Amino acid sequence: MNPDEVEFIGEKQLISIIPTFNSSTIHLVSGDIGPFRASLPLNVPLWIAINLKQQRKCKIQPPDWMDVTRLEQIKDDEKSSRTFTKMPSEHYMIEAKLLLGYAADDISRADEIRTVIKDIWDIRMSKIRSSVDMLIKNGGSYAAVDNLTLMEINTMRPLLPQAMDQIHRMKKERSHLRPPTQNTTLSLLNSSHTSTSK
Amino acid sequence: MFGDSAYTLIKELDRNPGTLPPYNNELVGEVKKEICHLVQQNHADSMANDESILGENGTNYFPTIRARHAGVQRNLRCLLAYHYNRVKCLRTMRWEFGSILPPDIKANLSSIETNWFSKYSSMLAKYMRSISEDGGLNLTVDLNPPKALYIEVKCLVDYGQYELSDGSVLLLKENSRHFLPRNECEDLIRQGVFQHIVT
Amino acid sequence: MNESEEINISNEVNSDESDSDELILTAAQVIQIMEEAWSNEKFAPEILPHKYEIVECILGQISHVEENLSNLINDDLRRSIHQMELDRLRYLVSSYLRTRLEKIEAFVCCILKEEDERASRNKLSYLSPSELEFAKAYRDGLDQHFTDTLKLLPAEILNNKIWQNEIITPNLDAFVFAKAKSQIEGVMIERDEEFVDLEKGSQVIISYSNISNLITNDKVSLI
Repeated sequence: MNPDEVEFIGEKQLISIIPTFNSSTIHLVSGDIGPFRASLPLNVPLWIAINLKQQRKCKIQPPDWMDVTRLEQIKDDEKSSRTFTKMPSEHYMIEAKLLLGYAADDISRADEIRTVIKDIWDIRMSKIRSSVDMLIKNGGSYAAVDNLTLMEINTMRPLLPQAMDQIHRMKKERSHLRPPTQNTTLSLLNSSHTSTSK
Repeated sequence: MFGDSAYTLIKELDRNPGTLPPYNNELVGEVKKEICHLVQQNHADSMANDESILGENGTNYFPTIRARHAGVQRNLRCLLAYHYNRVKCLRTMRWEFGSILPPDIKANLSSIETNWFSKYSSMLAKYMRSISEDGGLNLTVDLNPPKALYIEVKCLVDYGQYELSDGSVLLLKENSRHFLPRNECEDLIRQGVFQHIVT
Repeated sequence: MNESEEINISNEVNSDESDSDELILTAAQVIQIMEEAWSNEKFAPEILPHKYEIVECILGQISHVEENLSNLINDDLRRSIHQMELDRLRYLVSSYLRTRLEKIEAFVCCILKEEDERASRNKLSYLSPSELEFAKAYRDGLDQHFTDTLKLLPAEILNNKIWQNEIITPNLDAFVFAKAKSQIEGVMIERDEEFVDLEKGSQVIISYSNISNLITNDKVSLI
């Protein structure tokens, strides 16, 4: 999955905006949005919020967690915990990227927030690296990845699944004690997939 | 050495990933000739078998026959790999360029490949037409998740007039910049007329 | 396009249920199912049972909104939001169908063989009718292509259709990320009889072969 696709999923997240215009309810296929009353906050999906913001038709109310004190706390928890802590939002990175990218003027201390979120991300990334390292060294064939967000899981693709697949194959070969198949140079036909020739 | 031509054929694939060099008729012919030759020799030797395979003079044909057979199998596999990979490349081009290939690519195809391409092209079109009750769904567009509705593009060539779906006409000149709905640009970006400006 | 406007989708959507009740889904639920099917299809190494009814339903909604959009000429804002939603939905459906088509092409012989087996055991087909038609045409096209390119070779080779022995099959042992949609007990993780229980909402990386049945049963989704 490429980052755009992860973002596509994350953009469904609801976010509170304060419109600067009036409009009746919009009946979208995915559900009703609105009515819009100038200066009355309402929830809309992120993709609509960003679109309206680009057209300067709303102010964005950052989610509760997008706050320096709150994020510092999260960062400390993450640092002191051996496992991954639960993030305040399933798509915190995408929300941060889009809101700080398009609506920085609606977020107080946006630069500091950007830095803390980056720190949290880095701590979690380094945890991912060390757990992956341990998993591979132990030749693991299963692992829990609880509390990791989609964007974080995506950074492990495709390296981790492929490495585990290789280990799995080696284990299988060993347990069957079969001589390896002889088609190493001729496997072009099946370059990316396994083949079974009868 | 037998097997050399087949090896060269595979090397050619390996050297040109994702592109279609001219169809190597000559080399394919060589490989085929070698296969025929090996098969013939094996035929001859297996005829001779009955009398001399375990005859007094000690000639044992089995190892030779087996080696030739392996050679045949290897050559065949290389032939299949060569042709299959070219077909896969052609398939990708159908998705990129549509049902009409640029002339420089067309010139590199064997007539059998040209045939396959037009067949694939029409089966794909037929499938896309059958997707929904009203008129089908073109799967070769909407390749990426939609972003902002409008994107900024730079025109790379003097294209001339271009009509948008709302009927308005744009003059596309080299280096001109335009702010257009994403879906109006996709085709031209793919054809290399537009470049998406990412800010 | 109104939320209260409910869509009837026959129970075929839930593959192996045999009760004759019709499932009534809102458009939002239909989209939810489509998104999950998209993600599952993207990550599963093999082709999954088709969601043809869901696809049809969303495409129907799209053209319904498109028709009404032309009445909205004087409201750019509403128009552009509707348009964006349509783009998102169209992308979702197209990407889903493209992913399936890629698998059909890559594993065509294997998939058609499995479809035959399913048909002979009266099981539901994994391919939609038009996908099946495409798959057969694609296989025949390849068959013809190899027959033509290999002509002039000894008859015993041509008649054996040796390319049909080089069947490419998906790697069902591939590792995937999965999320439990409900509490699941006793998921096998290793041939050496190791089992694990999954809490609802928990996430794991695991070999596809150990959970493939849980995807078709709607107990886990791939992420």
